Amino acid sequence: MGKITYKRLKGSQNMRQRLLLATLKSTPVLIEDIHADDTLPGLRPHEISLLRLFEKLTDDCLIEINETGTKLKYKPGIIVGGSHLVHDCGVSRAIGYFLEPLILLGLFARKTLVIILKGITNDSKDPSVDTFRSTTFPLLKRFGVPSEGLKLEIKSRGVSPHGGGEVHLAIPTVQHLTATMWTDEGMVKRIRGEAFTTRVSVQLGNEMIYAARGIFNRLLPDVYIASDYRKRSEAGNSSGYGISLVAETTSGCCISADTTVSYPRGDEEEDIEGEEKKELIPAADVGEKLASVLLEEIEKGGVVDSTHQGLLFLLCALCVNDVSKVRVGKLSPYGIETLREIRDFLDVQFVIKPDPSTGTVILKCWGSGMKNLSRKTT
Amino acid sequence: MAMDSGADGQSHKAHRSRHSGASAKKKTKAKNKDQNSDQKQQNPKAFAFRSNAKAKRLQSRAVEKEQRRLHLPVIDRSYGELPPFVVVVQGPPQVGKSLLIKTLVKHYTKHNLPDVRGPITIVSGKQRRLQFVECPNDINGMIDAAKFADLALLLIDGSYGFEMETFEFLNILQVHGFPKVMGVLTHLDKFKDVKKLKKTKQRLKHRFWTEIYDGAKLFYLSGLIHGKYPKREVHNLARFISVMKFPPLSWRTSHPYLLVDRFEDVTPPERVQMNSKCDRNVTFYGYLRGCNLKKGTKVHIAGVGDFSLAGVTGLSDPCPLPSAAKKKGLRDKEKLFYAPMSGLGDLLYDKDAVYININDQFVQYSKVDEMGGTTNKENKRDVGEDLVKSLQAVKSPIDEKLEKTKISLFSHNGRKRRKAIFGDGVDHSNLKSTDEENEGDEDDDSDNDNDEGENDRSNEDNESCSGSEFSDGDEEDLKSEDDRSNEDNESCSGSEFSDGDKEDLKSEDGMGNISKWRASLVERASKKQNINLMQLVYGKSASTSNTSTNEVKDDSENEESDEDEFFKPKGQRAKNSIEGLGGGNINTEDCSKSTKISELKNWKEEEVYESIRDRFVTGDWSKGALRNQMSEAKTEEDDIDGDFEDLETGEKYESHQKDDSSNGGIQKEDDDAIEERRLKKLALRAKFDAHYDGSESPEEETDVQNGGKFHRSQANDSGYYDKLKEEIELQKQINIAELDDLDKTTRLEIEGFRTGMYLRLEVHDVPFEMIEYFDPCHPILVGGIGLGEENVGYMQTRLKRHRWHKKVLKTRDPIIVSIGWRRYQTTPVYAIEDQNGRHRMLKYTPEHMHCLAMFWGPLAPPKTGVLAVQNLSNNQAAFRIIATAYVLEFNHAARIVKKIKLVGYPCKIFKKTALIKDMFTSDLEVARFEGAAIRTVSGIRGQVKKAAKEEIGNQPKKKGGQAREGIARCTFEDRILMSDIVFLRAWTQVEVPQFYNALTTSLQPRQKTWQGMKTVAELRREHNLSIPVNKDSLYKPIERKPRKFNPLVIPKALQADLPFESKPKNIPHRKRPLLEDRRAVVMEPHERKVHALVQHLQLIRNDKMKKRKIKEEEKRKEVEAQRAKDEQVLRKRRREERQERYREQDKLKKKIRRHVEA
Repeated sequence: MGKITYKRLKGSQNMRQRLLLATLKSTPVLIEDIHADDTLPGLRPHEISLLRLFEKLTDDCLIEINETGTKLKYKPGIIVGGSHLVHDCGVSRAIGYFLEPLILLGLFARKTLVIILKGITNDSKDPSVDTFRSTTFPLLKRFGVPSEGLKLEIKSRGVSPHGGGEVHLAIPTVQHLTATMWTDEGMVKRIRGEAFTTRVSVQLGNEMIYAARGIFNRLLPDVYIASDYRKRSEAGNSSGYGISLVAETTSGCCISADTTVSYPRGDEEEDIEGEEKKELIPAADVGEKLASVLLEEIEKGGVVDSTHQGLLFLLCALCVNDVSKVRVGKLSPYGIETLREIRDFLDVQFVIKPDPSTGTVILKCWGSGMKNLSRKTT
Repeated sequence: MAMDSGADGQSHKAHRSRHSGASAKKKTKAKNKDQNSDQKQQNPKAFAFRSNAKAKRLQSRAVEKEQRRLHLPVIDRSYGELPPFVVVVQGPPQVGKSLLIKTLVKHYTKHNLPDVRGPITIVSGKQRRLQFVECPNDINGMIDAAKFADLALLLIDGSYGFEMETFEFLNILQVHGFPKVMGVLTHLDKFKDVKKLKKTKQRLKHRFWTEIYDGAKLFYLSGLIHGKYPKREVHNLARFISVMKFPPLSWRTSHPYLLVDRFEDVTPPERVQMNSKCDRNVTFYGYLRGCNLKKGTKVHIAGVGDFSLAGVTGLSDPCPLPSAAKKKGLRDKEKLFYAPMSGLGDLLYDKDAVYININDQFVQYSKVDEMGGTTNKENKRDVGEDLVKSLQAVKSPIDEKLEKTKISLFSHNGRKRRKAIFGDGVDHSNLKSTDEENEGDEDDDSDNDNDEGENDRSNEDNESCSGSEFSDGDEEDLKSEDDRSNEDNESCSGSEFSDGDKEDLKSEDGMGNISKWRASLVERASKKQNINLMQLVYGKSASTSNTSTNEVKDDSENEESDEDEFFKPKGQRAKNSIEGLGGGNINTEDCSKSTKISELKNWKEEEVYESIRDRFVTGDWSKGALRNQMSEAKTEEDDIDGDFEDLETGEKYESHQKDDSSNGGIQKEDDDAIEERRLKKLALRAKFDAHYDGSESPEEETDVQNGGKFHRSQANDSGYYDKLKEEIELQKQINIAELDDLDKTTRLEIEGFRTGMYLRLEVHDVPFEMIEYFDPCHPILVGGIGLGEENVGYMQTRLKRHRWHKKVLKTRDPIIVSIGWRRYQTTPVYAIEDQNGRHRMLKYTPEHMHCLAMFWGPLAPPKTGVLAVQNLSNNQAAFRIIATAYVLEFNHAARIVKKIKLVGYPCKIFKKTALIKDMFTSDLEVARFEGAAIRTVSGIRGQVKKAAKEEIGNQPKKKGGQAREGIARCTFEDRILMSDIVFLRAWTQVEVPQFYNALTTSLQPRQKTWQGMKTVAELRREHNLSIPVNKDSLYKPIERKPRKFNPLVIPKALQADLPFESKPKNIPHRKRPLLEDRRAVVMEPHERKVHALVQHLQLIRNDKMKKRKIKEEEKRKEVEAQRAKDEQVLRKRRREERQERYREQDKLKKKIRRHVEA
């Protein structure tokens, strides 16, 4: 009765998927060797923030971290959700990092989740909040999530290093997710987007839009990119600009790409805009490059872009006991890691078949039959 | 009998109908009546609705009925062959359960069953199998039986009437999903009087109906003939069983479960010898029911506990349907029944052995044969006979021998035994270690390369035999073949393969001999597009049918085998990054975004952007559309080839490619459309079938009759319902189509073991008591544990005491609950939800209401039924089920509160403020309750302010004593009295005890009653303790002393100011009365006269009045009597009138109804 058997894992990789799946399946996990060999060992601030968020949403969960922070014991509780929740995501990762697990967690909560998230809204590492609105939510609808309850409002934008953004998120609960057969990727019929600027000139936004359009115009006339100019309180604490684009296809698939340019934070940040620490990439280049990224995503094919592969696989695996079939482009490393975690936690394996003629991959799985058990019956 | 063949030509006398007499009259009357009614119906106007409102009401009623008939369609996810239906035969002792099973088995299989032990599987029809189980008589057995029963036959002793077991079992069934139920009355031959028999039948039937539903089937078995039930009646019963439909039950469709029909102890004998009480390894065999079983699933063995599966193996069906079983020869008899626990069935298949059951006489015969040493008979000997003999000649048991031989063959690597399925019926060539046979068995169509490879491997020693790893199914077959037919056991064990071997073969050790055929493959493989992505993602696949689940899974275990490298085509080398990810760093940052902005193509160049032109609506639509279809078609192609990973397919695959390209997309398009159409058609057909079946059911028929003409019009409107059904059916067809695409092993990986499969579950570390006290009469239930059900926590249930249980239930008294598969003892706390949502504790359950019960235990999903029992003993006469409930929700914290009243007394009173003592014990406590509402007995409300300052409240300290804590300053709406008592009413959390005790009834002798935690009452009774009495709680007569008030004292100064009127007058008390009071009055003579006269007059008047009063009284009485009489008459008349009127109305109504019906 008293003894809890923990699933033993190693390293901080896939922390989000592991915690998410552990919570959904209510498997206690024990993670060791978290950044053990680094100069600064132990959990990173965003990982701790993530744990706090999980603690906030669940009832009676147990989190134990050893002194050095290299070992984590997590015994999940029951997902409660609820409204009037506030979470400060910190400035080490963007809100997108937290949103990805949060969305799935919210679906299987007892009460509808309404939460205010504070921190960095746009980042080059994580999908931006605009992408969530434009691409992730339509993706959820495919799996039987009611569209009325899904809401994401951007109250203010914040970019790294100092953040200061705020979004209001509402996620409805579901009884279960429905399986989907989603292999028709369709043809791109329109491209939409949003270019934002915080604490910088409006002109930069327009430059990005102009540059991006320059690339798309040769392929498609239906391109509309809105500009979102934020100032004063709505603009967060630091200056930056970015753009997010979505290509919609005839079969209702959304393929997105986004990026943000801002000053890197302090000392630890080197990899993304390493070459030019002082100067930011010119806006026109950003627009052009992102447009190219989007075209590359389109070229890869599949019903979702590479960023959303992980989420798509998770959704497929959490469906009722039916067959789901989806087509994605080249498997992304994140997608592959997610597949492995799904296998380990949910015992769901995908049949993965390459489609050589189009360079895409078709995945098939038998849903795990996850049901929302925490919902109260009347 | 009299009829013989010669009587064919004889014509029979035709029936002559009566033309006169009583029966003829009756007939003509009936005919006339019919005609009359027909005529009536021809006048439609006469029978239209006269009243608008009435028509509306009728119609709405019909609609409502229609809607009530509809149920949310249930998704049936069991594809393929169904497992046998479980027929549980239940009844009190001595009612004829075993006899019924025996006769039914005899009816189906023409075999006599010596005794009924364990489940008995029989084939009852072309498409149907049944599994008969006798329900044990204790309550634990009944609860378990209710959980796996598909049909419950309730046997009732007609001569005795109903017994409590029947009702208990019915209640248990109801809680656990209510499968189909049929009553069977036996012992009806004890009635001598026909009339009495008829009446008893009627009575029992109606009692049965009230318990289930009106019209529930109750079957009568009239009596025994030669100690057996009459053949005709058994035949009828069998027919009833064979047409029965079994609706899916929600708990069972979401959990896999096994009714164990065979049970073995597979602990190594040495371990048992060392310590007879060591934990055992056991295997369970049975058909998988419910839903698919995934490999990682934990199981609950009823009455034992939770275990993780050490191994799951699919075995060949021991009792296949006649349609599924392939006859191998004329000699093969159809196996119509399978009951290993009853000692029936001659062959038992295990994963690595076949056990043969031989009767004693056969043993004798073959032994004699052996001894006689008849050489010339040797040639004619039967294969089976041979086998039996070889088995007999063996000195040591097979297990040991297998162990030994294995070591001698594969001594260099300590490997595990390879488990196998006796799955597909494909009869494969027996790959023995001899060369010639192998050559002869080569497939003709295989190309040269293949031949070479085969030869290479077959020329090797036994090890190379395991090189035949390209098709798993073959191996398995081969194994079974070997087991049966090989004389020498060396070769028998030689065909045992293991994963370990395979791996070895693939890795460097095996490289030497395989390198040849590999080398020839290199080019091909590099060309091959179809690399196994699954292997890349999931590492080396454990794609065998059996698994051993590890608690601790080591992720990132994908060592890059050279094979992977080897099979990697040039085009896909970029995927290396994927591999790298799994291997090295365990602390990689997790980012879902992966694109690097730096390495992009230049999309401004024309050829670059033109390359994806077709992905846009501005491009070529037909090409874009083709992209989807072509790829889909191709994937199907891949499936076919994907199973084979060697050279042969390379060729084939290529050819397919060519075909595709040459024929172009048009054909593919067609194929696609055809495929889609086929799916839809299938779905439609299935839907129609379902609908058709539904309308066949008797309930619906009655509905049709009652609903009258509205039915048809409504049927068209239920579009939503139909749509739902259609969707479900389509999804089902899609699932089937998609799953059929996969090959066998992949399919097993994806969806787990399918329902209907015969499985062997291996479980380790089971307490030895299970083996020791195993009783085949008590069936073992092995249920899969669903998502999150292995955790323990608090559960909130909605509970109702059973109306037949005599007492109410007490909070914290241990009860035994049955939830899901489990049974455990726990201590519930009862509560009720108040208006404001607060859960208030109850000391006892309400008598006739639902209440909440919160308890601690292994969790069950919401809506699961719960059954509560307090006493497990059999001799308890009363009803044993104490309550039923269902789970509302589960959470980790209990939120039940109870009322608490803090009492305090004023110690000092200011104007409206008072200091209250004794309410709190410390200042800290006061601080906790600041602002709390309080009240005095007299109803003055107030509020707690703060802890009192020392100098005010604490007199004792001034005197040098300890400062008294916990005095609170409170304010009231009015000044309170020192004699007032002050209350603070609050709520305090109630702890639900974290206690549960799994019922381990399988780990003790069956006749012993399980003893768990005892109730307080039981303990008191045992130890002869009286119930403790709190003296304060006793009722005493209330003594109220007369209250003494002090005299009113008016201050002197005030007195001086008062007016004289109000001034207190201090008159001293006189000893003698005043003169005024003492003097007498004397009247004058005239006055006296007047006084006397007045007196006289008054007397006269009084007398008169009296007389008048009497008279009036009499009169009134008379009038009243008259009125009563009249009233009576009137009432009588009114009643008669009313009766008349009602009769008339009734007649009219009947008439109308008749018309409407007609």
